Amino acid sequence: RLRAALHYAVGGLCQEVEEDKDVRFSKQTIAAITEITFRQCETFAKDLEMFARHAKRSTINTEDVKLLARRSSSLLKYITQKNEELASSNMEQKEKKKKKSSAAKAERTPGEREAAVAENEDSNLE
Amino acid sequence: ERRSSSLQHKSALFACVAGQKQMNSRESWALTPEEYKIWDRLYRIKESDGIKQPVLPRSQFETLGNLEETSKHEEGETHELSLNEWSIWQSCPLPTAMVDHSDYCHHFISVMDMIEQMRHQQGDCSYELELQPHLHLEDVHVPGKKSHHTVAN
Repeated sequence: RLRAALHYAVGGLCQEVEEDKDVRFSKQTIAAITEITFRQCETFAKDLEMFARHAKRSTINTEDVKLLARRSSSLLKYITQKNEELASSNMEQKEKKKKKSSAAKAERTPGEREAAVAENEDSNLE
Repeated sequence: ERRSSSLQHKSALFACVAGQKQMNSRESWALTPEEYKIWDRLYRIKESDGIKQPVLPRSQFETLGNLEETSKHEEGETHELSLNEWSIWQSCPLPTAMVDHSDYCHHFISVMDMIEQMRHQQGDCSYELELQPHLHLEDVHVPGKKSHHTVAN
């Protein structure tokens, strides 16, 4: 089921790229990208868990996600920038409605969402 | 032939290093004059060798701005080590010596194997047909349908 959802999402993203770059992806290409992404989630999930544990935390936070991107300065810069954008928009939202602090949980960075997907992997494997 | 002579001299180098440790003269990180001589003679790539300097490919992100410095070596002067030239060898695990394959490596091998299986498929994709029955629309972001968590881009 997770794979099917991912396959759908990858298909959508590939379609955007197709329109942007004026190319065509074969179904087999999209399937291969899906499988790579699925397996990458497992790697991310394990790394994030270990990073958090290394910092004596059991909750994965955005600092752990940044560590995933440590090897590429351009990727790290991108992720850090997104994190700052999210942090500031979360702050604004908190100002607006202070009572609902749990709303911040629904707003996750792309990396965190992937991690969340990956964390469910084990329980949902077909 | 170069390789076998290198191996012979390698043990000479180790002996040399060990000997110097005993003499306690190996304080600095750099090569000693003796080590430098051995390196220069046996391992250093020179123009007369007729081979190019090996370099690793630089990582680049197509979808992001590129911060990494561009390679200073000119094309043709160096031999860029290829990670895809031997892709048809990658669909099963290669031998190991001391370090086992990582999970990450096994994932790579599986995907290469999967690509190999699909190589000759035309049109319909078996992977797609297998997954289709498992798709639940509530799991995915359906375009046109307003969802409270839009894909962050």
